[in-house]
Amino acid sequence: MVEYSNIEFLAACASRHVRNGENVFGGTGLPLLAALLAKETHARNINLISEAGFIDARPREVPLSVADSRYYLGCSASIGLIETLGFILQAGHIDVGFLGAAQIDEYGNLNTTYIGPYEAPKVRLPGSGGGNDIASSAKRLIIIMTHDKRKFVKQLDHLTSPGHLEGPGSREKWSLVGRGPEVVITDMCQMDFDPRTLKIRLMSVHPGYTVQDVLDNVMFDLIIPDDVPTTDEPTQEQIDVMHRLDPHSIYLGKGGS
Amino acid sequence: MVPDGSGLFWGGFGFQRPPIAFASELIRQKKRNLTIYTCGSEVDLEILVGAGVVPRLEIAFVAIEALGLANNTRRRVAEGKVEIEDYSNLAMAMRFLGGALNVPFMPLRSLMGTDMVAKSRYRGDKKLKVIDCPFTGEKICLVPSIQPDFSIVHAQRVDMSGNAQIDGIVGEDLEGSRCGKKLIILTEELVDEEEIRFAPEQTKIPSMYVDHVVLVPFAAHPMMCHGYYDYDLEFLQMFHKITRKEETWQEYLDTYILGVENHEAYLDKIGWSRLNKLRAIKPRGY
Repeated sequence: MVEYSNIEFLAACASRHVRNGENVFGGTGLPLLAALLAKETHARNINLISEAGFIDARPREVPLSVADSRYYLGCSASIGLIETLGFILQAGHIDVGFLGAAQIDEYGNLNTTYIGPYEAPKVRLPGSGGGNDIASSAKRLIIIMTHDKRKFVKQLDHLTSPGHLEGPGSREKWSLVGRGPEVVITDMCQMDFDPRTLKIRLMSVHPGYTVQDVLDNVMFDLIIPDDVPTTDEPTQEQIDVMHRLDPHSIYLGKGGS
Repeated sequence: MVPDGSGLFWGGFGFQRPPIAFASELIRQKKRNLTIYTCGSEVDLEILVGAGVVPRLEIAFVAIEALGLANNTRRRVAEGKVEIEDYSNLAMAMRFLGGALNVPFMPLRSLMGTDMVAKSRYRGDKKLKVIDCPFTGEKICLVPSIQPDFSIVHAQRVDMSGNAQIDGIVGEDLEGSRCGKKLIILTEELVDEEEIRFAPEQTKIPSMYVDHVVLVPFAAHPMMCHGYYDYDLEFLQMFHKITRKEETWQEYLDTYILGVENHEAYLDKIGWSRLNKLRAIKPRGY
């Protein structure tokens, strides 16, 4: 029996969505840990890119910033932002991008900018950073969040990064380069998107949680398919690799990304 | 040299090469009403915003990344004392590129369909425009170029004529250094011209663009400067913690910024044994 925390489960689960040979935008936090874990296990030949300018990176320990020199040692090219977000991402070369968010709606649209009304914000969050660019132009988007009812909302306080916007046809309307979010992974469940409506659909529930737990923790009508399997548990190898990558538990010790 | 009311391109990216010593000096000189243009900055924006130097920012990101939210900025925004015009990283980099190229706007494929198009703080309809491309008919987003009064960029080494070399990543500093009306370079080290000419491909900013050079070792402390020193994680965690409350932030401001005469006195206060431990180990860069 493998022992794991919620955060370890989340990172291990997310890492399985990365496929070998892909061009991946890693960022920082849990998304980066998931991408690095994939690279150390089943997807050794991913090209890990940081928007600050590092290409084909092989960090030995987790960087704390997209510009951290820990991304530098062993990378094959170290350039800049127009290179990564422009020539690489906007030109359509990124297979998968990872994002987190403070709020998500039923179409996978994300808020990372404000809690409360725009005119009088209660909490200023980090903002888009490269998030909007990645959500607009990465071929696939993997969204990672800790599960909290207040984050799965009917109406975002602010739409920072595009998911499937208003549903079928809306990404095409704005000529967005990427195809939008593919999965949403939390510490409670995995969700994907119903191909007909592009609304969030439950995909699998993690061990120890029920479908009702998930329903109790979203504020929109989640699509529930007839068959909801239990998510695979992490392997001991995945747990060990994660702790080697994050020896000070900077990400593993935290509640969110 | 920087008059009140100026607009500044602010260099560095994330934890890498932020001109924090320059931010502290702007605070000591009691500058007011500055506007900052950058993709993303962290401790530098936090102290500028916290000290009331900068009421307006056009940025994509402010936080201490892995450590958490930008507490000072969060508080000042909630108080209504700071206005942030939100863009994405690529949008800001394109605005600097447009300014450097001396064209009025640049097109990009981000932002569309979101509240960054629908909402604006003070630029109103001058924030951006989504148009039908006159050639293909596709939707495309246009962002206005920026040519600010000053560009502030931190480089690893500079020679006496101003040739500046940057190691590691450049972030948006190539475009940013060329878009401002005056360019001020902070450098860790002054080197002989021959060292520059020995590795000219490292010269990311030729001297023809440079107006002023300031020699400032450890200009990015508590953040990092590739090949020179690592971030000071313990100090950074302390900084993030004290900014949670106005009282402890004011104490920090009095102790580490207003309470020291200049950057040298700040470094003495931090202590050289501590700073020496941060020095980078070759070839890893941190």
